[in-house]
Amino acid sequence: MSIKEKGYTHWQGEFRDSRLNWMPITRYGIKLAFRRKFFKFLFFSTLAPAVITLAFIYISERLSDFAFLTQDSDALSFFEVNPVFFMRYFNGGGLLFMMLMLMIFSGAGLIADDLKHNSLQLYFSRPLTKLDYFLGKASVIVFFLMLITMVPGLIFVIMKLLFAGDFQFVRQYPWLPLSVIGFSLLITVFFTFYTLLLSAVNKNRRYVAVLIFGIYVFSDIIFNIFNGIFRNPYFALFSVEKNLQQVGAVIFGQDPQYDIPWILSILVIGALCALSAWVLNRKIRGVEVVK
Amino acid sequence: MSVEIKDLHFSYGRIKALDGVDVKLPQGAIGLLGPNGAGKSTLIRILLGFLTPQQGRGSVLGYDIHSQQALIRRYVGYMPEDDCLIPGIDAVSFTSYLGELSGMPKQEAMKRAHEVLFYVGLEESRYRLLETYSSGMKQRLKLAQAIVHDPRLIFLDEPTSGLDPQGRKDILELILDISAKKDIQVLISSHILSDIEATCSYVVILNKGRLAAEGTVSDLKQIEYSLYELKIHGDSAAFLERLRGLDCRVEETEDRLLRLYMPPDIGSQEIFRLAAADRIQIRHFIKSQTSLEDLFAEAVGVD
Repeated sequence: MSIKEKGYTHWQGEFRDSRLNWMPITRYGIKLAFRRKFFKFLFFSTLAPAVITLAFIYISERLSDFAFLTQDSDALSFFEVNPVFFMRYFNGGGLLFMMLMLMIFSGAGLIADDLKHNSLQLYFSRPLTKLDYFLGKASVIVFFLMLITMVPGLIFVIMKLLFAGDFQFVRQYPWLPLSVIGFSLLITVFFTFYTLLLSAVNKNRRYVAVLIFGIYVFSDIIFNIFNGIFRNPYFALFSVEKNLQQVGAVIFGQDPQYDIPWILSILVIGALCALSAWVLNRKIRGVEVVK
Repeated sequence: MSVEIKDLHFSYGRIKALDGVDVKLPQGAIGLLGPNGAGKSTLIRILLGFLTPQQGRGSVLGYDIHSQQALIRRYVGYMPEDDCLIPGIDAVSFTSYLGELSGMPKQEAMKRAHEVLFYVGLEESRYRLLETYSSGMKQRLKLAQAIVHDPRLIFLDEPTSGLDPQGRKDILELILDISAKKDIQVLISSHILSDIEATCSYVVILNKGRLAAEGTVSDLKQIEYSLYELKIHGDSAAFLERLRGLDCRVEETEDRLLRLYMPPDIGSQEIFRLAAADRIQIRHFIKSQTSLEDLFAEAVGVD
């Protein structure tokens, strides 16, 4: 190999503002996710519930044109756009499952791959802080989850107003857009911590994917078993899904499904986020120190 | 001074990795030598801010190692020893990504990535996925990512590890070019003495977390002792014993060549005087150049 004498020149440019150091991590995380097999298909599949919900909103304003769909009163209630309608979208098992799939395919390897390939030292030999690294990785998950929570939720409200041609809906439920934003933020922040926590505890992205899915499902199974035996709703606190649904119901102004204080579910969610932050703080470092 | 540290202490639990290291490194290519566990990598990690020393202070390029780590990492490049690549992307994306993480604007990082990949000789394979790279290519790529943001100082941790002779020669050639012609200071941590001897003008030797020796290669070779190589005929036992009595270290090679490390105040005539006294014939005698290997052995106290 001969050295290319003219291949190296000193760079004369200026470094960027350091407050946005985490941005390239997010951009590359999103780019790499889309390079994975089946991810594009999965991503567009996760938008299907939003598209269907949008169709329901359209039909709700054109009931006379779709009379064949609304012949019985039960079916009619599906086309009534109100907080329950929104809660069905946000709090239903379908959306949560889609979120889980997105977390598995876009988030499982975010930190696990860096641990496996010793890449953390490459990041931290740059002027990056732990917070920059965390923000960069977290924003990848936030990006995907927001695209199926907050973005469609706000589009639903806007489209409802456009299809209706008046502001009656907003006058009737002025707090609903805030509920959409609030619940989207809560669920996104929780799932981001949840995914990054599990991605940081194992170097193999496949194990992490199994953990993301397994803990979510297993916690619900535990609840069902204990609730079945003891008939005690407090076992809902063991279930990730039930805790989110309890809080979701309150945010959308509905009664929670289980008769336990919703604040306990908030505490469980908060404790899991705090645990995640603690573990991430310990695991994310330039070198692994073995004492 | 590119690097200046004073009374640096660091322990991994009860194990002392650095025990009061004081060092001032000048400009140019500097070799950091030491046996395994000497504290070389720990020192580099402290200088980069990966580890916080329990005691002591220091600066890199004038920036404090405690309070200005981000600035240090902006102007310093680091080539780690381990394989540490990001799978799923090609070399251009990888290098420009790390350029961006250093704070370069996106387009400039991409332009610069092409330049440095060309410089390290990866121009034809820059669009290949990193998983398909050989060990030699990975080493060159690690060097490329270390210089993509045009650092003023580069830390190279075992840059030739795992390379075949040709790959090693190529990397050393690049390092020499970077330090000699590109006005970039280089700190090379290695246990391969010939690599250090080929590329560095100044050497720091660590042993058991302490500074064992420091200085320019030429000075260190001369000040410690004089090295003579000789072949003798006759009963050597008494002769060698007398030499050892003069604080001389004696090594015998496989082809019966004697290497004498004489204290600098004892001249060669003393060897002849002792040989004559013991009726020993000296059939071959030259004053040899000391190698870095000799210096290293002397400094860390091993043969």
